Order: sequence, then structure tokens, then C-alpha cells
Amino acid sequence: MKNTILELENVSHKYDKELVLNDISFSIEEASFFVLLGLNGAGKSTIFSLLTRLLSLQSGSIKINGYTIQNYTKALKDIGIVFQEPTLDLDLTVRQNLYYYGALKGLSFKETLASIKDELTNLDLNEKLDTKVQKLNGGHRRRVEIVRSLINKPKLLLLDEATVGLDLKSRFDILDYLRHKVQKGEISVLWITHLFDEVQESDSLAIIHKGEILATGTAEEIIAKHKQADLTETFKYLTMENPDA
Amino acid sequence: MRKYFYCAKGIIYKELLRFLKEKSRFFSALVRPLLWLFIFSAGFTSALGLAIIPPYESYITYETYIVPGLVGMILLFNGMQSSLTMIIDKEMGSMKILLTSYINRNFLLFCKMFATAIVSTIQAITFLVVAYLYGVELSIIGILLTIPVILFTSIILNAFALFISSVIKQLENFAAIMNFVIFPMFFLSSALYPLWKIKDSSIFLYTVCSFNPFTYIVESIRFTLYLKFDPFNFYIIFFYFIVALSLAFMGYKAKKVLKKS
Repeated sequence: MKNTILELENVSHKYDKELVLNDISFSIEEASFFVLLGLNGAGKSTIFSLLTRLLSLQSGSIKINGYTIQNYTKALKDIGIVFQEPTLDLDLTVRQNLYYYGALKGLSFKETLASIKDELTNLDLNEKLDTKVQKLNGGHRRRVEIVRSLINKPKLLLLDEATVGLDLKSRFDILDYLRHKVQKGEISVLWITHLFDEVQESDSLAIIHKGEILATGTAEEIIAKHKQADLTETFKYLTMENPDA
Repeated sequence: MRKYFYCAKGIIYKELLRFLKEKSRFFSALVRPLLWLFIFSAGFTSALGLAIIPPYESYITYETYIVPGLVGMILLFNGMQSSLTMIIDKEMGSMKILLTSYINRNFLLFCKMFATAIVSTIQAITFLVVAYLYGVELSIIGILLTIPVILFTSIILNAFALFISSVIKQLENFAAIMNFVIFPMFFLSSALYPLWKIKDSSIFLYTVCSFNPFTYIVESIRFTLYLKFDPFNFYIIFFYFIVALSLAFMGYKAKKVLKKS
């Protein structure tokens, strides 16, 4: 039986008096690709901010790798993070950006590069190491951010709308690369997105809408349970909203 | 301990890289106090008579008097400049990288303040050397002894700046900070004129100046430059050090990092 790497139990969150997350519970097993799917404003980024401790937990519990989020020096130690917005320093080179992030993980410059040697090769970034980030295209910048998040070989990767703004090929290159790592059992992934075409039928999935989880299971199970043709139809059925609108 | 060492090294490394890449920032930071020294003080020398006040043991020129205040000006503006980059970092998202590290957040913030203080110190010492070459009454030993004082006091200003950046949501508000924080802090201090001169003019202004941390920062630099130590001044700046750090740490507690977007 696989261990649980991430567990949210009865998490609720308010901005002032407005309830934006209501009693959210789901868990992610080791070496699984888990998708949190919902439209804009559903509460996905709030969950992401709670997981990364950019927001403090108001109610419920979050455990990462067995540690509560309040114990963040342990809980956040083995996670990698990719934010929706670009977070690289454009004036620095790829190498300098990686060194900086490695340092924030408590690694020396040498250890930083050693921990992502394979990733740099697999994502064709070795020759870009001394290129300024501002000279890279969007796809390459995203790859650098993916590689950066893999520094020190985290057990769990959190990605918030990581493919927004990329062309189709770049999007699926990144997805395929991460799915491959999951299949090899190297990592678990929480993939937060509003893009339905990024979900595969075998993926574990939670559908979130207006701050509530409407369904969990594999995409295949959820579609079958609600007797719909595909995920988009299932989403329409559950939410009474058209995701293409 | 090892991870803390590498973490601090990385944050300082990035700040120094930024500093080296932004040469115009270095020169503009230097030009501002030099203009005050060469032009403003030249005009005021004849208008302002200075009595013999500690730490000075004889009559001094206005250029000599104003130099510690101008060092303070460099630290103040650089601290606020760093606050500006924090706001940009918050808007651009790169600040999130710092704040989502598993390493103690207060330690990360302190490293950020310390890294900015190193840059401020380099600028301040460069200014002191130029002032020395210009003929202002300074000693090399005094300049060397001032380095740790500048570093320490710069952390205080950076901590205040960090706190300000935590409460500002948008970059546009920075102009208000210039008008409501930087200028009052600078002018309501002993940077440009001794406190007894202000007391002669207005008891109220004198009282305000007496509570301004910048006054004590300038005075601690002034006393050290002339190889004197004022324990009272030291206790006061140590008190402000604790207050400023507490404010900065509170400003970046988890719940305050993000507001509803």
C-alpha cells in the first residue's frame, strides 16, 4: 500500500468574511499524478497558497509527508514549487537563478547543480546555463522553473497553472516529462489547472468549484459514475456551468 | 547550521549580483549625497554657525558636520530602494520563492536585510572616501571603525523598509512613502543641523526629532567617525534594532503575505 504524501482535511478559508474554501478534503499518494481541476476563481490558488504557507491555515489540517503545515521547516523541506506567475530573476543567468534557489534549500552551488544534473540534460538546458533568463523564450523559462523546483530531489511537486501561456507542444512536453518521472516512482505531482485537455483518464482527480470539492477519484471513475461522455460533460453536469464559455 | 550558511550566502550572492549589474543605481546613490556635500553645504557654510558640540572638540566646517547625515541619507535611500524592489518582487512573484523556503522565514528576512546592508555599506564607505579626498576632516581609522556601525544601523533602516513593503500593496504607493516617510525622517533629524539649533526654533520639532530613530543612527555614525562612543546612543539604536526587526518579521508572517487578489 502506498503512503500518503499530502493530506488536506476539512480545510476552510475566508478572505475577510467571504468563504472561498469550504471543508476541502483530499489526499495524494506517493508516486501519483494528481490533478486539481477547476475554473478560475474556484479556490485552486488559495489551496496552493495554503500548501506553500503564503497564507496561514485558518481551519482544518494540512499534512505534507506526515508533517503538519505548521511545522513548515519539515513539511516544506521535500517539496518543489512552480508558481503560476514567472518567478525567475530576468537579469540573472539560468545558473545564477538555480544557485539562488538551491541556497534557499540550504545547498551549496556545487550540490545544487549535482542534484539536477539529469534534469538539465533531459530538458536540454545544459547549454542555456549561462544565458540570461530574459533572453529565453517562455517555454524555456518554464523548463528552468521546472528544473529549479526539482533541486534536491523533492518528494512532492506542486504546480499552479504551470503551462498557462505556453504553446501546445511546450505544454505537453512538460506534462509528459513529469508523468514519466511519476511513473518511475521518483516523485508525486499536484497539478493545478483549469485546462481539461491536460487530464488523462488514469489521473487521480479532484474537481473544485466555488470553493467546494465536487468529485474525487480517477478521471475515468468520475466520468463513469456520473454516466457522462467525457470530463467536460461531467464538469458541466456537476457544476451546471460550461467550462468553454 | 550548514544549510543556514549556504542560505545566507545565496541571498547575499544574489544581492551583490544585482548591485554589480545595476551600476547606475550605485552612481545615483553616490551622486545624491555628493551634490549635498559640494553644493548645498557650500551655500550653508556661511549662513549656519556651529558651536562646539560633541563629538567635535573644536569648531568645524558645515561640510564636516553634514557628512554623517549624508552617510545616513545613503543608508535611508538604499533601504527604501530595497523596499521598492521587494514590492516589485511581490508583484512579480519572485518574493514568493524566498518565502516558501523551508528555512526559518525570519532568518531569510534577516539575511535579506543584511545583504542590502552590505550594499549600503559599500556605497557609504565609497562616499566617505570621496569626502576624505575632497578635504573633509575625517580619519582613515574613523572610516574603518564606522563600517560595523554603518552595517548595523543599515539593518535597522532596511527592517523598517521591509515592514513598509509588507503593508504596501502596489508600487504606485511608493511615492507616498517618499513624501511621508523618507523626507520627514531625514529632515526631522540631526542630519543637516544640530538638535540644539532645532530646539532654539521649535520645541515641538525638537521633541519629534528626539524620537526619530534616524537621529540616533546619524549620531552613532558621527560619534564613531570621530572615535567617540556614546553609550546612551548605543542603547537607543539597539532598542530601535529590536523594534524594527520585530515589525519586519510581523509584516511577513504567513497570513499577511497574500491579500485577496
